[in-house]
Amino acid sequence: MAIAAERIERLHTFATEAVRAGEQDRARTYVRRARRIAERNRLELPRSISRFSCDRCDVALVPGQNARVRLQDGHVVISCSCGSHDRYPYR
Amino acid sequence: MITPETIARHELVGLHVQVTESTDPTLVGCHGPVVNETTNTLVVRDGSRTRQVPKAIATFAFCLPETDSTVFVDGERLIARPARRTERTGGSQWQ
Repeated sequence: MAIAAERIERLHTFATEAVRAGEQDRARTYVRRARRIAERNRLELPRSISRFSCDRCDVALVPGQNARVRLQDGHVVISCSCGSHDRYPYR
Repeated sequence: MITPETIARHELVGLHVQVTESTDPTLVGCHGPVVNETTNTLVVRDGSRTRQVPKAIATFAFCLPETDSTVFVDGERLIARPARRTERTGGSQWQ
């Protein structure tokens, strides 16, 4: 089990690096693989990963690079450069 | 932690690798970070080009990041879908 969790962490760091290097498609394959590993090993994706990957296009989100983070009344909106938005409540 | 015991079940993307033996002489010596993996191949960034190395015909030397040591792995042991390699020796109780 521990190996699966470590793999997910590693894949996420490399996905973020790939986005910084401008290789979004490579980042997508890493994020998809991390999700697949979580699914097969019945693990929940860590919140840092589920919030900073796009549900629509699977790319890792890096604010300032391909993601926009905006605070609004009671929720934060994270937008991907593909056009999808995620909203998370805060207090 | 990636150790010689766990490397065949662990994530290979990002590890520095060198092809030490292969039945294809043009692949021997190819080295660089692993950028992708498929069931039967590893994609290695060798300088400015990427090379797709078949696992079945190569022996790889992986650099382990935590301990700074080198592990030689027979490519045969790595043949599996990337997400499924982790499950090969237990781990999941549903297998």
